[in-house]
Amino acid sequence: MKLAYYPGCVSLSTGKEMDRSTRAVFSKLGIELEELEDWNCCGATHVSNEMVATGLAARNMSQTELDIVTSCSICYSNLRAAAIKLEDFGIRAKVNAVLEKEYKGARIRHALDVVLEVLAENEDSVLLPLKELKVAPYYGCLLSRPVGVYSPEYPVVLEKLIRILQADAVDFRLKTFCCGGPIFMPKEEAANETAYRILKDAKKAGAEVIITVCPLCQLMLDTKQRSLEQQHGEEIGIPVLYVTQLVGIALGLGSDELGMEMNAVSPMPMMERIYERMAGE
Amino acid sequence: MGTAMATAKDEDFKKEVMRLAGDEVKTCIQCGTCSASCPTAHLMNPSIRKLVKLCLEGRQKEALDNETLWLCTSCLLCTVRCPRGIRPKMVVSALKELADREKIASPGKNYDHLFSKQIADYGRISELPLISEFLLTYPQGSVQSMKLGLELLPRGKITLNREQVKRKDEVRRIMEELGK
Repeated sequence: MKLAYYPGCVSLSTGKEMDRSTRAVFSKLGIELEELEDWNCCGATHVSNEMVATGLAARNMSQTELDIVTSCSICYSNLRAAAIKLEDFGIRAKVNAVLEKEYKGARIRHALDVVLEVLAENEDSVLLPLKELKVAPYYGCLLSRPVGVYSPEYPVVLEKLIRILQADAVDFRLKTFCCGGPIFMPKEEAANETAYRILKDAKKAGAEVIITVCPLCQLMLDTKQRSLEQQHGEEIGIPVLYVTQLVGIALGLGSDELGMEMNAVSPMPMMERIYERMAGE
Repeated sequence: MGTAMATAKDEDFKKEVMRLAGDEVKTCIQCGTCSASCPTAHLMNPSIRKLVKLCLEGRQKEALDNETLWLCTSCLLCTVRCPRGIRPKMVVSALKELADREKIASPGKNYDHLFSKQIADYGRISELPLISEFLLTYPQGSVQSMKLGLELLPRGKITLNREQVKRKDEVRRIMEELGK
């Protein structure tokens, strides 16, 4: 399988471990990634004009004839929404008038979706089963909204993946509750409040690790976890991994290949437990 | 006469919101599903439901000059749940754009404005210059940014590189031509 890869802006800075683990896992699964030529920002949640957002997405999508994969749910949501918008030929003509390469249609996939498809057919590529590991599947918003392939209200795809890795998904009430990420700069308190609620809920559910499918969720739950602990005067201490990092562990990839040293809350105690359980069998 | 002129202006505002957010906005039945679904509803005044009403009544000043617009996290729950198929988040986006045109001040507006400007200038976002520029307009955000910086810097996640696309003129054309 060969796919066009859209890394997105965050992959070059705060989401480096997302990019590194995506490339490592895809390579291990034998999927070839070809980085999208001269890709641009998708506009994230900050470009208000729908036609502009559609144009930015169309420019990216017009760079390849391959299916396009991204690990970032914000990029994913924007590209998918634009692809639907561009089914309207009036809009498509207007957008194509400003593009250098003509947009002719595109298929957009989330890395999670591709990984699940390949793993479901090759369950024996799980070299290190994550037995007894309690995982909180955190979906956030944009993997399935406005138009993903999974339920916008109650997706279960991460639970499926967790089962294939032989780990246990905890019952996590706030799994699709917003992390607050898009407003964390101008509205810090509001954003912190939602992130804190999610962490508390995962902790209450008995999670040893939270997995995310979006770099902004990762920033809110992982990078900000220490300051949320200080703000509330309590320890939370739950590592937060990109879904590709957790899959990578189960595929037997090393910590450095998965960028594990870049997570704010160290996943090392969790890793030790995984190895101990493995050795105990 | 004054009332009649105000009414015409109110009507123009309403039309512009619909042009940007979709004609179906006028079918709103004020059921409140959007507000009930919103993760930051308890902080909003006016609520998202009320915001749609203000648009339909052409009340431009109240619809544009509030913090509700900047409390929207773009989670899209309102949008997937609206029984009328309205996209309340797109109403918020339309109002954000109009607030930017009217130069109404807010930290949220500045952030979005700087974000869009970086795309128009370079085609990609470089986080450090974006945050630095934003903090010049909103120094209250410095403490949070310092704390984040302390987590990100030792992990090699802050880079000084200015990221940019090769065909910047094409991106600028998208921003300018399609934004009309």
